[in-house]
Amino acid sequence: MGQGTPGGLNRQGLPGDRKPDGGDKKEKKFEPAAPPARVGRKQRKQKGPEAAARLPTVTPVSKCKLRLLKLERTKDYLLMEEEFVANQERLKPQEEKAEEDRSKVDDLRGSPMSVGNLEELIDENHAIVSSSVGPEYYVGILSFVDKDQLEPGCAILMHNKVLSVVGLLQDEVDPMVSVMKVEKAPLESYADIGGLDAQIQEIKEAVELPLTHPELYEDIGIKPPKGVILYGEPGTGKTLLAKAVANSTSATFLRVVGSELIQKYLGDGPKLVRELFRVADDLSPSIVFIDEIDAVGTKRYDAHSGGEREIQRTMLELLNQLDGFDSRGDVKVILATNRIESLDPALLRPGRIDRKIEFPLPDIKTRRRIFQIHTSRMTLADDVNLEEFVMTKDEFSGADIKAICTEAGLLALRERRMKVEVTHADFKKAKDKVMFKKKEGVPEGLYM
Amino acid sequence: MAPDPNRAGTSAAAKDDAVAKKKVENEDLSDEDLALKQQLELYVERVQDPDKGLQKVALESMRQEIRTSTSSMTSVPKPLKFLRPHYGTLKAYYETMGESDLKKYLADILSVLALTMSAEGERESLKYRLLGSEGDIGSWGHEYVRNLAGEIAQEYAKRQSEEVPIDDLMELVQQIVAFHMKHNAEPEAVDLLMEVEDLDMLVEHVDKTNFKRTCLYLTSSARYLPGPDDMLVLDIAYTIYKKFGEYPNALQIALFLDNPQYVRQVFTSCDDVQRKKQFCYMLARHGITFELDEEMAADDDDREMLQDIINNSKLSEGYLTLARDIEVMEPKSPEDIYKAHLLDGRASAGASVDSARQNLAATFVNAFVNAGFGQDKLMTVQSDSSSSGSSGNWLFKNKEHGKTSAAASLGMIYLWDVDSGLAQIDKYFHSNDNHVIAGALLGVGIVNCGIKNDCDPAMALLGDYTDKEDTSIRIGAIMGLGIAYAGSQNEQLREKLTAILNDTKAPLDVSAFTAISLGLIYVGSCNEEVAQAIIFSLMDRSESELGEPLTRFLPLGLGLLYLGKQDSVEATAEVSKTFNEKIRKYCDMTLLSCAYAGTGNVLKVQNLLGHCSQHLDKGETHQGPAVLGIAMVAMAEELGLEMAIRSLEHLLQYGEQNIRRAVPLALGLLCISNPKVNVMDTLSRLSHDTDSEVAMAAVISLGLIGAGTNNARIAGMLRNLSSYYYKDTSLLFCVRIAQGLVHLGKGLLTLNPYHSDRFLLSPTALAGLITMLHACLDMKAIVLGKYHYVLYFLVLAMQPRMLLTVDESLKPLSVPVRVGQAVDVVGQAGRPKTITGFQTHSTPVLLAAGDRAELATEKYIPLSPILEGFVILKENPDYTEE
Repeated sequence: MGQGTPGGLNRQGLPGDRKPDGGDKKEKKFEPAAPPARVGRKQRKQKGPEAAARLPTVTPVSKCKLRLLKLERTKDYLLMEEEFVANQERLKPQEEKAEEDRSKVDDLRGSPMSVGNLEELIDENHAIVSSSVGPEYYVGILSFVDKDQLEPGCAILMHNKVLSVVGLLQDEVDPMVSVMKVEKAPLESYADIGGLDAQIQEIKEAVELPLTHPELYEDIGIKPPKGVILYGEPGTGKTLLAKAVANSTSATFLRVVGSELIQKYLGDGPKLVRELFRVADDLSPSIVFIDEIDAVGTKRYDAHSGGEREIQRTMLELLNQLDGFDSRGDVKVILATNRIESLDPALLRPGRIDRKIEFPLPDIKTRRRIFQIHTSRMTLADDVNLEEFVMTKDEFSGADIKAICTEAGLLALRERRMKVEVTHADFKKAKDKVMFKKKEGVPEGLYM
Repeated sequence: MAPDPNRAGTSAAAKDDAVAKKKVENEDLSDEDLALKQQLELYVERVQDPDKGLQKVALESMRQEIRTSTSSMTSVPKPLKFLRPHYGTLKAYYETMGESDLKKYLADILSVLALTMSAEGERESLKYRLLGSEGDIGSWGHEYVRNLAGEIAQEYAKRQSEEVPIDDLMELVQQIVAFHMKHNAEPEAVDLLMEVEDLDMLVEHVDKTNFKRTCLYLTSSARYLPGPDDMLVLDIAYTIYKKFGEYPNALQIALFLDNPQYVRQVFTSCDDVQRKKQFCYMLARHGITFELDEEMAADDDDREMLQDIINNSKLSEGYLTLARDIEVMEPKSPEDIYKAHLLDGRASAGASVDSARQNLAATFVNAFVNAGFGQDKLMTVQSDSSSSGSSGNWLFKNKEHGKTSAAASLGMIYLWDVDSGLAQIDKYFHSNDNHVIAGALLGVGIVNCGIKNDCDPAMALLGDYTDKEDTSIRIGAIMGLGIAYAGSQNEQLREKLTAILNDTKAPLDVSAFTAISLGLIYVGSCNEEVAQAIIFSLMDRSESELGEPLTRFLPLGLGLLYLGKQDSVEATAEVSKTFNEKIRKYCDMTLLSCAYAGTGNVLKVQNLLGHCSQHLDKGETHQGPAVLGIAMVAMAEELGLEMAIRSLEHLLQYGEQNIRRAVPLALGLLCISNPKVNVMDTLSRLSHDTDSEVAMAAVISLGLIGAGTNNARIAGMLRNLSSYYYKDTSLLFCVRIAQGLVHLGKGLLTLNPYHSDRFLLSPTALAGLITMLHACLDMKAIVLGKYHYVLYFLVLAMQPRMLLTVDESLKPLSVPVRVGQAVDVVGQAGRPKTITGFQTHSTPVLLAAGDRAELATEKYIPLSPILEGFVILKENPDYTEE
């Protein structure tokens, strides 16, 4: 620790002292940019501007004046921000400058850009990249690329000649997943469901209410259910109910069929599941509906083929996503199957799937409703007595009833009656036909 | 996305309609529903029957149907649904009925029906309720009560504007509140009473089971209510706490309201000495001066002991207990903090540049790191090894005013330990170097910071030096007095110091420091005479002097007088409009920001932001204090704090240099001793800014947000910065200071002025912080110039961030406690966990920002519900060993 020269503390003396060094930072034209806050895997939850734009969470969740006051406080601040920014834009328009900068950046990027893969980050501004054709290159990263967003394995844009990294492709959502999003609400609504009152109420409580009124659960002091499974005979309305949910909710609705999760390559299935839930989380509040879950969710056993093992791994990933280490926010899951007994018990445990909703074959009252629904747009002859079919002791599912009505209509069409009118005889014939198919060749009433 | 956005909103309603329409058609109804519907229709007819007996039966059964019906929360109960078409008929019939009990009966039923039928804004439910039989309100269910409460609030507002009597409403309110309080719906009861502006009613309805939750809700609402409602709410909370003997909480509120009368009441209404001791600890942590009298503590011995606690005389002992327990007594040298060996070569090579500045930095780092430990490796060691002759070798490695800081650092090392501190500093009084004497004077002040001693050593030692010839000695003495007597409102000092201010021949720097010291001593007192003195002094200054960087301390001193006093500042603010225009706006901003510091007042933030949105010519400096002001006002509550951080981002984007320089400091104040990751990232980015003053402010702020946390990430950042800036001595100096701050008290101290679960704001601590930050607004002239000792103002905010449990004889007692992240439990049902992710330690323990502790044993009962600082434990009489 040497003694300083007298007056060394004096600021004015500084520039003179430092001349010989020659490496004065201020004289350099270019300041190296700050090193990125972290290198490597980026944080999933809060990235870039989205995290900064996120507002603080407001507790308590229940509706009360305190919450109102807090929300108003947040709003006040936002209004002030708006006012301030508007003022600034008025006083000092920045658009021109930004425009200029942008065109300069575009020049630097060049066109066309090639798409490549980031293999490894070497240091703050160098990386190893590969393009789809083969060789890997050691290239520079241009300073305007957001280095916080770069992570090994992400898709990047490269300059067409020097191959330096000039940008990154943000949207890395598997196109498979984006297809699953239900963009157009199905037409079926709750009103189109005959009966199933208890089921509708259960699914509303478990799936819709937690997304619309979380405070109700908070008030009681319970965690809302995470998911439900719909099971029952074929044709009892499981998918129909899911459609009705999709119709009525304003949450994002993602629908998948279990078999879609089975992929050609090893690891693709689990990856798809992960992507699916990540997208669901990003778009939350959301509902994920997996139809025919038995395609992937069967009990585990000693599998002999790689394919079976892969299917089981897909299910394991599903298990983890349903109730794993990372908490899912406002994502509700609806599963549907008609073979609940073959599903893996781990899939059905409370915490993953909290509610099991059975869809029984319709009882007499429900049958009547279903007949009413399906015949409401048909012109029936006067002699049609639906009660006969309603009261029959055959086991009908909702789908069977629909089939009977359709079949009866077709029969009427076949006869080309002038005024297309469906008669009782048509219905009888249709019923026999449907039941014939169902009972596998034994005509109804043959041995009675 | 399911339906398109337009559909989304209406789909629910449309669905309901569809359902309703279907239900109208009889064939769609199930048998039971049909039966019910017919039954109800029959009742409706019967009600209109002339026969009174039939009417009565019909009404009774209708009532029965409605009450017993339960249904899912997603739909309207069936009886109500079926009665909807008949609402109009019943209403019309009601009008024709003669006065009778039956009429009231019908009114009741109409009131319930109106729940779903009445048009928006008609408030028919309330109307019929008032006409009805006034029976038990709860029997119709919660939803009904809730709806009624809403309508009452609207009706009240309407009647208030029309000045119509409200007695009948209030009776209903009484019923509803009683109902809510009985059914765990305290927030709703409080909300209703707030709407009808009659919170006093609450006091009758709270009982032992629900007063805690009620008060918690009240106190947290107070932060967001506009004045004067907030004071009213806190008043009620105070009354309730006092009613149920929760004196520590009552005391907290009394301190929040800054109401000595209430504090007295708490002392007089509690007669347990142990609890009073706990109160004294709370007062001591808050850092206000408080004299106990006979009424508050009858016994002389007791009173003396209690006063001792308030005077903080045991603080040093407790702190050292903590240090010994955590095993950090070993002194650390600045090199241990710099950890230069972790960097690659070039940093160490650059160390020789401007070593005086380096040594000065080392002095500060040494002082901050070893604060309060009574031993270090620079100042104390050498004076021990080589006796008197060459005492203070390190001292003389500093040049000129550097020696002032070096000598004063001794005060920091012996912080709170008055006896040994004075003994150590004493030798420098006999030095013949004025700078050393000045440092020694300042050191005495620092040692006495927050401590009150019976023999008043600071006054005795420093009093004579304030009028010496040499300016540095005078400044040392004045600043020392300011630090030692902050918040004491000492008359004697006022006379002494105002005399200096009135002396027109006093140099500018002396008056500046005098103003600050007066501001600190009379912080938040609104003292007229002091204000006058500072105002005159400001008016007397010539125009050129007003341009000096140090002049900023004069308005700041004035501002400190009104710290957190809101409206009381207005008279003075008027006067400040007559000042020379060079200082006028600066003064305006400072006064405004100080007066509303810690209030969270959004309007003031808006005002300050408005000032920041102008683009000024060179030379105007008032935007700096405005930016700091935003932080000072917004730091009151978490929500405002986070939103303020967002606003500051915008300032960074659009602001001119003078704003950008202040933004890092404002961020530092907002997150003081609370290293939030996003703020850390922002500051880290700014620390590489092309404008060196922005970078310096960012570096200092990195130190502030990490102050006393030993945060490894900040420490790493600063280490990298030290090699990045190895040639730039000014920046390197800042980096060193920041490193020292991060390891403040080896990680045992905090600078956060908020304490007691972030509820109370210590005025002296905040005053110290903002003085230091205002000085940093002009880094080059003040901190990097010859007034670097302003950094010692931070000592006012230093407090151990510990939980030290003591038994009833005030001896440290080790018990297991759970320490974890605090959770906001306001308005939650049941008994939610107050902490999450906890670990179990045994006391004494350190509490990080946002941490909360709870006892992990039933064996003892803490006398304070807030486990922070010193907490007295009482044996639990019901405890049985398992």
